[in-house]
Amino acid sequence: MSLEPGRSLWDSGGMTIPIIIDGHAIEAPDGASLIQAWIAAGLPLTENVGCMGQGVCGACRVLVRREGERIAAAALACETRAEAGMQVAFIDHFPARRPHAYDLDAMGDSWSALGQVDAVFPEAKHCRHCGGCDAACPKGIEVQKAVNLAVEGRALAAGALFDHCVMCNLCVAACPEHIAPSHLGQFLRRMANSLTLRPGDLIERIRQIENGSQAIDLDAPGAQP
Amino acid sequence: MRVLTDPALRVAALADHLAVAGDGLRAALRDPAGIIPAIEAAGLRGLGGAGFPAHRKWAAVAAEPGPGKWIIANGNEDEPGTFKDRFLLAETPHQVIEGALVAAVAVRASRVALYVNPREAAGVRALREAAAAWEAHPLLAAVSAVVGEAVELRVVESSGLYIGGEETAAVASVQGGFPFPALKPPFPAQHGVGGAPTLVNNVETLAQAGHILAKGAAWYRGLGIGDAAGVKLFSLSGDVLRPGLHELPMGTSLRALVFEHGGGMLGGRGFKAVFTGGPSNTLLTAADLDVAMDFDSLRARGSRLGTGAMIVVSDGTSILRKTAEYVAFFAASSCGQCPPCKVGTFQVARLLERLEAGAGRPGDLEALRNLAALLPGSGRCGLVDGAATVLASSLATFPEEYARALR
Amino acid sequence: MIGWEQALATPRDAAPPPAFDKESLLRGFHPDHAPGAMVPLRVGVSAGQPCPAALADLLQANALVEDVDIAGRAMREAEVLVVGGGGAGCVAALTAARAGARVLMLTKLRMGDGNTVMAEGGIQAAVGAEDSLQRHYEDTLRAGHFRADRALVAAMVQDGPEAIRWLIQQGMGFDLAEGEDRIGGHLRRKKPGGATAARLLSFRDYTGLELMRVIREAVLLTPGITVLERHPAVELLTDPHGRCAGAVALDLERREILLARAGAVVLATGGAGRLHLSGFPTSNHYGATADGLVLAYRLGARLREVESFQYHPTGIAWPPHLAGTLISEAARAAGGKLFNGLGDRFVDELAPRDVVAAAILREIAEGRAVAREGCAGVLLDTPGLEAAQPGILAKRLVTLSHLAHRAGFDPAREPFLIRPTLHYQNGGIAIDAEGRTAVPGLFCAGEASGGLHGLNRLMGNALLELVAFGRRAGAAAAEAVREDRPRGVGLTHLAEWERGLVAAGLPLDRRAPMVFPAYGNVDLAAMLRKRVAA
Repeated sequence: MSLEPGRSLWDSGGMTIPIIIDGHAIEAPDGASLIQAWIAAGLPLTENVGCMGQGVCGACRVLVRREGERIAAAALACETRAEAGMQVAFIDHFPARRPHAYDLDAMGDSWSALGQVDAVFPEAKHCRHCGGCDAACPKGIEVQKAVNLAVEGRALAAGALFDHCVMCNLCVAACPEHIAPSHLGQFLRRMANSLTLRPGDLIERIRQIENGSQAIDLDAPGAQP
Repeated sequence: MRVLTDPALRVAALADHLAVAGDGLRAALRDPAGIIPAIEAAGLRGLGGAGFPAHRKWAAVAAEPGPGKWIIANGNEDEPGTFKDRFLLAETPHQVIEGALVAAVAVRASRVALYVNPREAAGVRALREAAAAWEAHPLLAAVSAVVGEAVELRVVESSGLYIGGEETAAVASVQGGFPFPALKPPFPAQHGVGGAPTLVNNVETLAQAGHILAKGAAWYRGLGIGDAAGVKLFSLSGDVLRPGLHELPMGTSLRALVFEHGGGMLGGRGFKAVFTGGPSNTLLTAADLDVAMDFDSLRARGSRLGTGAMIVVSDGTSILRKTAEYVAFFAASSCGQCPPCKVGTFQVARLLERLEAGAGRPGDLEALRNLAALLPGSGRCGLVDGAATVLASSLATFPEEYARALR
Repeated sequence: MIGWEQALATPRDAAPPPAFDKESLLRGFHPDHAPGAMVPLRVGVSAGQPCPAALADLLQANALVEDVDIAGRAMREAEVLVVGGGGAGCVAALTAARAGARVLMLTKLRMGDGNTVMAEGGIQAAVGAEDSLQRHYEDTLRAGHFRADRALVAAMVQDGPEAIRWLIQQGMGFDLAEGEDRIGGHLRRKKPGGATAARLLSFRDYTGLELMRVIREAVLLTPGITVLERHPAVELLTDPHGRCAGAVALDLERREILLARAGAVVLATGGAGRLHLSGFPTSNHYGATADGLVLAYRLGARLREVESFQYHPTGIAWPPHLAGTLISEAARAAGGKLFNGLGDRFVDELAPRDVVAAAILREIAEGRAVAREGCAGVLLDTPGLEAAQPGILAKRLVTLSHLAHRAGFDPAREPFLIRPTLHYQNGGIAIDAEGRTAVPGLFCAGEASGGLHGLNRLMGNALLELVAFGRRAGAAAAEAVREDRPRGVGLTHLAEWERGLVAAGLPLDRRAPMVFPAYGNVDLAAMLRKRVAA
């Protein structure tokens, strides 16, 4: 049995589809994702790859121009299937670096939390409403609306819009005002959880552990084969 | 040859301007119907970079119904290597206003926006004072009488952003919004400021109009060399002995600009290339030294005159580093509306930065060529096209410089 | 084998599946027990232990670099070096940095591009009033066929509730039970397959994504942590006494070797799914190539239960381009049923994963599978689930619905065709309760470590393990660096290793770690052989 996700598609004997990725004219196996097509073409893959198909790691950012279309679209290569005549360019990630510094632990007073949005992300209020973030998001998140809600102080509502954000940071690359929307979303969500999520059952169980009433008997009958 | 840069025009007082000029506007007032034919006969082209025949734009706006039509005298000028408009605005504000009023008479526009880059504080100041002087002058009343409405001059500070120079962006900016370029059509001539027909012309284009009306289309056309008409302000910079603004006949050869007017290459270095007008066009090389610098000749060579900016680089300069610098400018200037433009120029800039840092990899050049082919046409305006053009040209013309940067 | 159309047309019988003997099922059909799947290790401290042949080839290989390759290389200094940027590595880095250590993290892909971000189902912690730490402890041992280390399991289980609190403090969200308040409300709990209580806490069906994006952000914002992405470790460094003192990394961006010296090293390199054991597809990320096991074993770290791998029951069987992609156990935890081609249930869907996977393989082997365009599998009845709980697919099984969309069908109308996919390395590098390996200075956490799961891991214990032991190993590593500073750091361990290979009659020209799967077309040797000084 063939093991390789790319090659196994070659073996299936299916049709191939001509596409161009980063200047390489390749024949993609029918049905292959852009990442699989890259591998199947024998090209080296050391970056812009992670989960390879689940669409959750955000590593494989691409610009894709479909045949007959004037405007290229941003997408994730593992989620995009090869179509005849596609022209594809990978969008690299910059090395990890975060200009928007904050410390959740120092945010002890929840009354000051909303003020922190502007203190940490001062660019957000300069949103020029170009809509580039929305157009760039491969997950269909209403990024611009979320940024604007955050500026209005509606932190929970804004954070909720980033619920299924995979942090591919295409919105960061797309934003001309350097707002870093995905990181703003993370800030809002993390702040909300760290300040307001206090599950009663969890707190009770931690109390029991601390007072010794949840001790584990390593040799209990249920621990024996 | 000094038409626009005539020292006699570099005056602050309107009276001093009218002592040596003003005949163009007076001629326009005498025969409003004759303006557009004169502009056409003179062969005036849009000098902000596009080279679109001026009379066609003017005629299009003139054909639209008033009242409330607009003129935007576009002095946003923000592209690297271009520094002609700031001269005209700061040193010869009356020349610009006179030209704009000629256009107002021609197209019957009552609102004249003097759209200026706020980074040029001297230009803003000079223009405000000049506009105030015109407001109080009987000539403006005469213009209003012909237009049929009270003509007002207003100085509008632009955002200072590069994209603000694009004509639909200029319209958006004058309306008070962010200078987002818009898809065309509709064109500003039909649907401009507040929906009103709007003539958007570069300030250099407008400044020429007064002279054409004053001295005649034939005179103006004759200023150019060969088929090219009139004069052009060239912003000469880079590795030449005498950089600066040079007013020369349209159609002057690149060789004459660089080696006569520019004093030749700095330090006796060899001539390598010229980044023209934006710098968003195909590079000119030694093989192009005898090309006539006018819209049609350069286009025939696969390049463009653009704004008339000529950034000359010697063989002591890295084309890769220059290209990286300009692409980074475009990436930073992209307005954000079109992700392929913003993200695509960002990726090009990233790859060039890597090559520049000596960390280029096999495949990087293919990736760059791929982007140069994929990106054009992906934006509402021409920004991404320009970035792709200069990239493609730089790659095609100096492949060995790129190859050397690969590890 | 039953054709797809015929299988769809067959009425599905919701009656409980017949009883069968689990041990003989596992022996007969689990891939770990397939004839010839395992070979005994011939060299190293765990010689004699059974191990999958493909993994043994790597474990018993020679190093990619030798002394001359590391001469003249740039050296980075840190107190704690963390190798691996998935969940365990990030948690360890955070913990060590907060304990005051200067931390350097090396990652092969980008930080976060690992299996953690792909975890869908959830994280176990015994918070229910009817539940207890004891039950969690016993469930874990039983699911692992009593082969797990009791002290490790007890440590993990005990850390559970506190780990959840810690995650919330980092900003992670958890689903609350329907209608419950954010303060004082009860968490949504699901029952993992093989557990006796509802103990699985989750965030939608992308718990790992929520965890990873929060932890990654915390790492980026924590002073004292330097992250070098795209820097896979290709060998560990030792001092003359055999203490681990850093790593040799390959800078993929510049394609040159870089050395990282540290007082303590935490290996958090994850699993081995990309070895595609026994020809199985995998749910793992692109970098899951057992690098950490290879490096640690060469240094003398003991391995355990490396013969045991988890095959997740519900990998995609069709369409082929998504083969191996995971469908979360959340679908079964929520009530989703499995059917063979005859329309019969054949296993308790919430039995431990090894049992469910083996039962599916039995159905395939015995001709009761469904075939679609040449792909064999059984049905995960999402239409039945939607009919029983209208709205569940759109609201709670978001990832699953998204996956169906990408496969080109509506999960409310059509079932998934599924078959087991290589999912998790149950064993790994042996550790103690502080994450220490047998090698001084070398710590390990997460999927790379062994002892927590025995021969089968319970759903939700992977995320708990990486938090609990990421914190334990990070704290212990930060503590360990204060003891002494490494001197005479190099590759002295390799001579002894080569002697061992020679003695065992093993080839010296087989090199590991593999770093990238073969189909990644990466010429590692070319990058590594660019010597500065020979």
